[in-house]
Amino acid sequence: MKKIQKHKHLISAYVVSFFAIAFTLLPVTWLFMLSIKSKGETFTKPPKWFFDPTINNYTKLWDNDLFKDTFFNSIFITLISIVLSVTIALFAAYALKRYQIRFKTAFMQWLLLAYMLPEFLFVLPMFAIYQTIGIYDTYLGMAIIYQVHVLPFSIWMLRSFLEEIPKEIDDAAVIDGCSPLQAIYKIYLPLIIPGIVATAILNGIWVWNELAIALGLTFFDSQPITVGVASFRGYASIDWGGMTGSAIVSMIPMILFAAFAQKHIVKGLTLGSVKG
Amino acid sequence: MKQTPYLFLLPSILILAFTSLYPICYSIYYSFFNWRWGDEKDFIGVKNYISLLSDKEFWIIIKNTFVFAFFACFFEIVIGVLLAIYIDRIKIGSTIIRTILLIPLMVSGISVTMLFKVMLDNMFGIVPYFLSFIGIKSNFFGSYTAAMPTIIGLDVWWQTSFVFIIILAGLKSIPNEPIEAAKMDGASEWEITRYIRLPMIKSLLFLVLIFRSIDTLKVFDIVWGTTGGGPGLATEALQTYAYRVAYSFLEMSKSMTIMVLFSIVVIFLTILYSKLNKDL
Repeated sequence: MKKIQKHKHLISAYVVSFFAIAFTLLPVTWLFMLSIKSKGETFTKPPKWFFDPTINNYTKLWDNDLFKDTFFNSIFITLISIVLSVTIALFAAYALKRYQIRFKTAFMQWLLLAYMLPEFLFVLPMFAIYQTIGIYDTYLGMAIIYQVHVLPFSIWMLRSFLEEIPKEIDDAAVIDGCSPLQAIYKIYLPLIIPGIVATAILNGIWVWNELAIALGLTFFDSQPITVGVASFRGYASIDWGGMTGSAIVSMIPMILFAAFAQKHIVKGLTLGSVKG
Repeated sequence: MKQTPYLFLLPSILILAFTSLYPICYSIYYSFFNWRWGDEKDFIGVKNYISLLSDKEFWIIIKNTFVFAFFACFFEIVIGVLLAIYIDRIKIGSTIIRTILLIPLMVSGISVTMLFKVMLDNMFGIVPYFLSFIGIKSNFFGSYTAAMPTIIGLDVWWQTSFVFIIILAGLKSIPNEPIEAAKMDGASEWEITRYIRLPMIKSLLFLVLIFRSIDTLKVFDIVWGTTGGGPGLATEALQTYAYRVAYSFLEMSKSMTIMVLFSIVVIFLTILYSKLNKDL
């Protein structure tokens, strides 16, 4: 009797996950199917389940310089943001682990506040100052304002990874005459590579997907892919091919991340938010 | 050296000061002016605040934002926690299930709007097509009654897995002994979940509640990408409104006043969270 009871719970668990998976994959699969249908077949009623797939929408996107630029802009903005945040956060996280710091609680609360502030609060003030100092609509300008979100997150993450390293290793380094800088890059850096990878990936996903700040602070030269995807959303006539194709193109790198770095992402999501 | 730790913190402090303190001070300062993109700026005191807070439209938008946040949070947390409880039981195949359920979190808000626009479009969408068979004429984004629930549904599809992933990790970290002991005493599966598992992850539940509520209050992408706040004001939220005020009505100061008021709410919730978190 007990055994049946146990199996009943397991079966219900699999049934629930089946529905959850179906519900998750259905919209994505449907969008992908539409993106490889030819123009005449996209919205036939009843929908055509079997058709000759075409990559027409994708080649058109590749020839569309405006969209192609946004794709590469996003890659640069994401990379600069990641390098900036991880480098700066590594020093901060090391200081927080190694030293007694006054105002430590206040600093940690500031991180949480900065992380939580609404996006549009930054747009107009940054717009004004970026115009003045000449970094409006540049990769650097975008990467800097994104630090308000990714830097606090990186500090939490790297700090929690550093905490896992026993204090003895650190003491040994100091006795051997390592300066703090040497200790960071010779001893800690190799040990927390997994932590850095997880941090970089999660930061990258956030930056890649950000829209509100990008809408306000880019005009042409540094428009990211989210703005590129949004540009296909016309009111009068909708370019369905461009819309479906561009959305898929913007999703693919991130879904690949989810598949290959699943462990890192899960650990990062839980660690990063728990420590906050 | 005694200053070393502060030198290490200095770059973070400078960047955070520039990206968080400066925008707050700037917005507060110019919320007392009547700046409209041009060079002309006159000091008008708290007029912006008074006119906003006495504006009926603004209160409708505040109500919309909180209605959206309440229902989106409610469904995301209920569904996410239930999913985590069920999938926690699975040993074989749990990694692949978790990986697939992680996908929505990887998708940008604007792509989420694209996913559902093609499915729910009145003319071409597959869902209205099937609904028409059972005699339902649907209008997901265009009608007053349906637009808000539709947007909430999009957010639930998008963000439920955040709750799921964190709660699942919490459930997996619970030690086995109390659960085994309860089983010996003849407790049912649901009793164990209700009286042992959930109380043990209380602080995580509180964490997802705060993170999700602040995040849903900040909703922008999925409203801007689908209804743009319409029809009428049916789905207008605080951040989309602030965007429209600045870029369509060109009222910079008014837009910053909205964001100052909104930030006060966010800061209050954040401080409440860090205060309560110590007690948990």
